[in-house]
Amino acid sequence: MLNTVIVFTENKHGILYRIADVFLKRKINIESLTVSKIEEKNMSRFTVVIDANIKTLQKGINQLNKIIEVIDVINTTNDKIVYREIALIKVNAKKTPEKIEKIIKDQKAKIISKKKNSFIVELSGTEEAINKLSEKLRTFGILEYVRSGRIALMN
Amino acid sequence: MKINGSKAVMESLVNEGVDTIFGYPGGAIMPVYDALYDYRNKIHHVLVRHEQGAGHAAEGYARLTGRPGVALVTSGPGATNLVTAITDAMLDSVPIVCISGQVAAHLIGSDAFQEADVIGITAPITKWNYQITKAEEIPEVFAKAFHIASTNRPGPVLIDITKNAQIESFNYFYKQNPKIIGYKSIPEPEPNKLKEASNILNSAKKPLMLIGHGILISKAEEALVKFIEKTGIPTASTLHGLSALSSNHPLYMGMLGMHGNYGPNLLTNEADAILAVGMRFDDRVTGRVSDYAKNAKIIHVDIDPAELSKNVNADIAIVADAKKALTGLYPMVKKNNHTAWVKKFNDCYKKEHQKIITHETHPKSGKITMAEVIHMLSLKTKGEAVIVADVGQHQMVAARYYKAQKTDSFITSGGLGTMGFALPAAIGAKFAKPEREVVAVIGDGGFQMNIQELATLAQEQIPVKVIILNNNFLGMVRQWQELFFDNRYSFVDLKNPDFIKVCKGFFVDGERVEKREKLSKELDKMLDSKKPYVLEVKVRKEENIFPMIPSGAAVDEIRLE
Repeated sequence: MLNTVIVFTENKHGILYRIADVFLKRKINIESLTVSKIEEKNMSRFTVVIDANIKTLQKGINQLNKIIEVIDVINTTNDKIVYREIALIKVNAKKTPEKIEKIIKDQKAKIISKKKNSFIVELSGTEEAINKLSEKLRTFGILEYVRSGRIALMN
Repeated sequence: MKINGSKAVMESLVNEGVDTIFGYPGGAIMPVYDALYDYRNKIHHVLVRHEQGAGHAAEGYARLTGRPGVALVTSGPGATNLVTAITDAMLDSVPIVCISGQVAAHLIGSDAFQEADVIGITAPITKWNYQITKAEEIPEVFAKAFHIASTNRPGPVLIDITKNAQIESFNYFYKQNPKIIGYKSIPEPEPNKLKEASNILNSAKKPLMLIGHGILISKAEEALVKFIEKTGIPTASTLHGLSALSSNHPLYMGMLGMHGNYGPNLLTNEADAILAVGMRFDDRVTGRVSDYAKNAKIIHVDIDPAELSKNVNADIAIVADAKKALTGLYPMVKKNNHTAWVKKFNDCYKKEHQKIITHETHPKSGKITMAEVIHMLSLKTKGEAVIVADVGQHQMVAARYYKAQKTDSFITSGGLGTMGFALPAAIGAKFAKPEREVVAVIGDGGFQMNIQELATLAQEQIPVKVIILNNNFLGMVRQWQELFFDNRYSFVDLKNPDFIKVCKGFFVDGERVEKREKLSKELDKMLDSKKPYVLEVKVRKEENIFPMIPSGAAVDEIRLE
């Protein structure tokens, strides 16, 4: 099951290493990881998406709590959070740009760069929405594709 | 007061009450050693012969004082040589503060001479580590290090100091016990959980108490005796819990685990309630965990929340200091006795005694056994010595047959199982408690793993006693090869040096004994010595340690032969 683990830490060197090690040591695979600074509090916020059974994950979380610089750990599931990823998709627009533009509009994405033969499309949404868009664009030819890790807020 | 970083390191150590450190100098730590030269009257520095020795000595020191042991080493190989000792301290919850030199901050990442990523290397094996790159960080980081190492569940901490930070000057100001935002003190045990636990214990017909290292760390020995004498609950100890309860106590049933006593292992699966305090259900204790204590409600008390339900699911999980938990439970538990249940343990012990113990400790013929040496040592020291056991067969024999009457009497490497631990750890232990008799019990294999520390002993002239139980084998591995690998003795046969000649070469006195009739006299000679002394005992080559829970078997599948 997909869990989102939100970790608040002091903003110090080496925390990423220790957090990653907790999962590495238990062979828990990290699906995505986003780290951001909370400037005003001199803290960092880690959003880690994990696909693991809950018992294994809970043991990992207990270990996260032992890292001295960790201030709080929240383990949550999709139904309790609002979450987003960003995808940038460079799609081949040589042949039928108007069709692509329609899909983009329907999927509430936007074009952030328009070149003669290609568009770069941006979508912020859930993994599902991003997957859906990329599926639809695949028929035109995706030239390059990148997506961010998840960020999430408790609902 | 404006001082340089190295002097700040000394002042910080003095502020933390440190009077003994174990170390080895080198390039990147030289400014600190230079400052140490002026602090020789306040801090005794023990010059080890290998940094691993410094780490284990710091562990031995910490185990007996409860205060962090300190190891001081240089960068690169100095620090990497500490890695085994740090890991050992991590697994056995031993507070040590390791200080390593590092190349100057501007050289970091340039693969400079003796540069190693010590922070990266030690992150998974320390409770906390930190690299100081500016002198002004020193007081706060040292205060944090000592606080973190010694509070909650103790553990190793490493401070890496770049050379420039050792040299720069700044305004020194020291404040102990700094506030660390994510590091919370352990709460009082929850009263409702204590109540639930006491209900289970009060109605249990076959309760069993398991005690671990946590009892010793929290100094809960007296609370423990009060508690079991009121409840009448038979009590068994883990390897690290040994000596927390006097082995003479009528409710002490012996040791748990792979080579523990028969009764406590067998009857674990008959118990209807288990109260485990300050222990972590290590796999050597549980055997096959899916068949462990299936008839029992399990109450697990530990100071580390991550240990609760980690290996064995706890019905009642209590995050608490062992002493506070036992003191809290005391008024809630009924006065009781479990005579018939305790008798079962005693019957098991009788069986074990007949089948194993009597033959081991009082052999009629043949070469000396390891058990008779320990048994005799136990009698001669009245169970009041500090035994520092290395790792292997002799360790299990020492654990089984040394009858500790006094608390803090058994130190060994339990979690990591580090061969070579005992000699340096015994040195550290003797510095911690010079008034106590400290006897290291080591196999012929392990002795050669940190044999260089004989020179430390000779230089310091502290009367650590060493018994080498020499069977010319890596005995535990050999035992497994005999039992589980069809007698294929793959690389366990040792052609050893003449240990006594080696000792004499190091200017350490020693004697070898091979004949039973001389053993007692030679042990007396060793114990009477006012200097470091090594007694090598030639023991039977192919002894096996029993009882034994074979790897992968359940606790009630324990074998007596």
